[in-house]
Amino acid sequence: MAYNIDIVIPDLGDFADVEVIEILVKAGDRVAREDGLITLETDKAAMDVPAPENGVIESLTVQIGDTVSSGDVIGKMSPEISDTVVIKPAIAVPPTGETTVMATPVGEKPKSRGKQTLVVPDLGDFEDVEIIEVHVSPGDVIQIEDPIVTLETDKAAMDVPAVVAGRIDSVLVNTGDTVSEGSSLAIIDAVATEAAPQPTAAKAQPSASARPKTAPAPVTQAPPATAASLPAIDEAGFARAHASPSVRKLARELGVDLVQVTGSGLKTRIVHDDVKAFVKAILTGQTAAPAAGGLPKTPSIDFSKFGEIDVQPLTRIQKIAGPRLQASWVNLPHVTQHDLADITKLEAHRQKLKGLAKKRGIRLTPLAFIMKACILALKEYPKVNSSLADDGESLVFKKYYHLGFAADTEQGLVVPVIHDADQKNVYELATELGELSALARDSKLKAPQLQGASFTISSLGGIGGTSFTPIINAPEVAILGVSRSSMRPIWTGEKFVARLMLPLSFSYDHRVVDGAYAVRFTTYLSKLLTDFDSLLKAKK
Amino acid sequence: MATHSAQLVIIGSGPGGYTAAFRAADLGVDVVLVERWPVLGGICLNVGCIPSKALLHAAKVIDDAEAMAEHGVMFGKPKIDARKLRDWKNQVVDRLTGGIMQLAEQRKVRVINAVAKFESANLLQLNNGETIAFETCIIAAGSQPVMLPGMPDDPRIVDSTGALEIDPLPKRLLVVGGGIIGLELACVYAALGVEVSVVELMDSLMPGTDSDLLRPFQKIIKKRYESIMVSTKVTGMRATVPGIEVSFEGKNAPATGVYDRVLVAIGRRANGDQLDADKAGVKVSQHGIIAVDKQMRTNVSHIFAIGDLAGGPMLAHKASHEAKVAAEVVAGEKSYFDARSIPSVAYMDPEIAWVGLTEIEAKEKGVEYEKTRFPWAASGRALSLGRDEGFTKLLFDKKTGRVLGGAIVGPGAGDLIAEIGLAVEMGADAADIALTIHPHPTLSETIAFAAEAFEGTLTDLYMPKTRKR
Repeated sequence: MAYNIDIVIPDLGDFADVEVIEILVKAGDRVAREDGLITLETDKAAMDVPAPENGVIESLTVQIGDTVSSGDVIGKMSPEISDTVVIKPAIAVPPTGETTVMATPVGEKPKSRGKQTLVVPDLGDFEDVEIIEVHVSPGDVIQIEDPIVTLETDKAAMDVPAVVAGRIDSVLVNTGDTVSEGSSLAIIDAVATEAAPQPTAAKAQPSASARPKTAPAPVTQAPPATAASLPAIDEAGFARAHASPSVRKLARELGVDLVQVTGSGLKTRIVHDDVKAFVKAILTGQTAAPAAGGLPKTPSIDFSKFGEIDVQPLTRIQKIAGPRLQASWVNLPHVTQHDLADITKLEAHRQKLKGLAKKRGIRLTPLAFIMKACILALKEYPKVNSSLADDGESLVFKKYYHLGFAADTEQGLVVPVIHDADQKNVYELATELGELSALARDSKLKAPQLQGASFTISSLGGIGGTSFTPIINAPEVAILGVSRSSMRPIWTGEKFVARLMLPLSFSYDHRVVDGAYAVRFTTYLSKLLTDFDSLLKAKK
Repeated sequence: MATHSAQLVIIGSGPGGYTAAFRAADLGVDVVLVERWPVLGGICLNVGCIPSKALLHAAKVIDDAEAMAEHGVMFGKPKIDARKLRDWKNQVVDRLTGGIMQLAEQRKVRVINAVAKFESANLLQLNNGETIAFETCIIAAGSQPVMLPGMPDDPRIVDSTGALEIDPLPKRLLVVGGGIIGLELACVYAALGVEVSVVELMDSLMPGTDSDLLRPFQKIIKKRYESIMVSTKVTGMRATVPGIEVSFEGKNAPATGVYDRVLVAIGRRANGDQLDADKAGVKVSQHGIIAVDKQMRTNVSHIFAIGDLAGGPMLAHKASHEAKVAAEVVAGEKSYFDARSIPSVAYMDPEIAWVGLTEIEAKEKGVEYEKTRFPWAASGRALSLGRDEGFTKLLFDKKTGRVLGGAIVGPGAGDLIAEIGLAVEMGADAADIALTIHPHPTLSETIAFAAEAFEGTLTDLYMPKTRKR
């Protein structure tokens, strides 16, 4: 394209020095206008910075954790107007209307490049109309449809929008000037042609590809204007949903039954984002699409009837994690295999190594050893390190071993991932565990640090418990839950001895792993933990 | 071979038809608009909403001027030039209909003046011999006044259209039908010095309207009108030289009366059965109504119906809203008629307006509602207008405080009601209105006061049962 434009942080209201918590695109990505580029989080809310234009991201100069303020340049993009913007037919119609008229560059047709004069289009019966507002200044980059000036006739105020995109070279009028049809408004350095040809029938109505010149062959049932294949909507419920008219319109456009959507606004008002999130969740499989009948609902109860209550919003992480957990719980047939591993020797050994490790700045936790053991067990039982293909017809075995581990943070549950864990020794694992946990607590994890796990461990042993049923981090097929180890009497065949036993709770997707395979996995894992020598020998 | 062809043909150019035409054209659809009259705009612009409001404005000016006499501003008795007044009304209409024509030209909507009837599901036959082949059709052919059976054919018996031709003014007018149309025109004639009587078959004026809304109005017209006869049937009419002799049957009605003009405004009938719609396979009820779904489609999916003949209240603003839905669906958009409330306004003086749930409806459906009512006698602005008879009423969901509907009686009620309509659509609670700062001193404040009354935060009135929420 002709030039790059800066991507600028828009007006953030009262906020300054806002943290970047997510980067949604990278250089080279093609984006559409209004697509989110990065996510900022103020102490009030998270918000996306939208793309100013359709085009390709040239560069992004911020990173997660950076702070930005209104007006900061965060990168560059090259806008694409000529071949990607689909101009709505209505805009391409020659200047019309009492309230929408367009400035037409001098000359019969907008030309592709170079300086052009934007003029006042046909105003109907009006002449000497006053300019009540000038929207552009020299240097402004404007897009098609951006208003240049607002005119006020004695009937109505109307914006004169641009018909070409480009950079304003000079503005020829001031507020208070009067203009008529053909008056010059501004010189623009145009960057692209107006893309849309005259509206074609096909655009407005796919079913009617050409305007009939003669009587169409009489069809008894002409094709309907739209395919009437929207999902069934509970109309009675829709009519009662707590949603404004514009939200209802959006829901209709997307075919969303508002009855299925939980509102996040005050008194569960459904807002635009709720409708979008609902659709997104369905598209990404995070929420089961409302099947016929759907799931029975839990009763809704007015708790305030029974005593004082305090309503607090879910954290952002909870809102994201909730549907995913539910999707896994509902979609995967979970079975949990419990076992006890004798870690008496392992723990004694760890105690010995701990001091040394500490001197090197490493907190050598049991989890590092458990991870090492898991890697060996996963290699022996590769199904546990697999995923079911989307079509449910095949298994995807992963030749990599990226271990997720559940980290408890104030914001909620997050699962950082140690990549290529099989190539790291216990010290390295322990080091990375510490680092990622710290980042998680500070909400500073980057997207790659949260992605790609092939197996997950949820260790609650530091807190307590004897066993639990962890939910699989779908599309993984299994998760290992670890509870608190305790001294237990173990019968050796001759006598009871005190052994330090570690409870393991292994949840698996029964579609992929069957019971015998699962218990072999846990038995093998227990054995590895008990005969820990092999762990240490497995260098990397 | 058809004479014309179009992606979309619209039958009727009233507020439904022209809105649909323009919306569809703006979305890139090729549109033909068929209108049987030489001007666009339909009943609303030509012989309905607009001309009647011009006359009602004149009536209000006369009444207001007279009312000021009591407060020390005296005008002479107005001299009425009925012809000039009529001409002004016609100018207003011409300006608007001309504007519509211009909007059509700007959008390249092809306008054809003819009466259209269906020949098949894709072809219209026009009364000028031409035909239009179409891919989709929106029927927006409106409604027409119902006349009483067995009436003599006499120019002194008029419908609402005839009643707008005020020149020459009659001395004594009988309005048959106490609905909104009849009462608005009665209001005009009374202000112009005509002796007005109203006869209504049901036991109240504007049947179906919450009775409290009518009380202030009835109090005023009781003094001004010659007689208001409810529960009374018109049993016959006879054209005589001095006037139309009308015979009545009802407890408080005389046996007969002679009037030099009779306005019959007993209702309107949908025009759905005037179009040979059956030839296109479109089902039409015996009342001329064409049933539609939420996308305004008839049983034939590429033929749509909107406005008066599509069922529901016969109101221009309902027709234009439906028009946009239909036009957008034709253009391939996924639009639906999802409005939850349609405001109604009776433009007499005082105006009566309501939106959303009414008390009659709430009782029928067993809705548990709570009502608050702010009398305009406690509004500084109303008093300074010399109008203390009105009030603002809001209906709330008893449990949640959500606004379900409301009504306003008083000058400007029709303009004020829009806020309550927005509240209903947005699902606003009483507190949402009460906590929105309303400008002082205005009549709009009364809406906030009515909401505050529900909240228990109202200070402009002493409410002994104020509760803490």
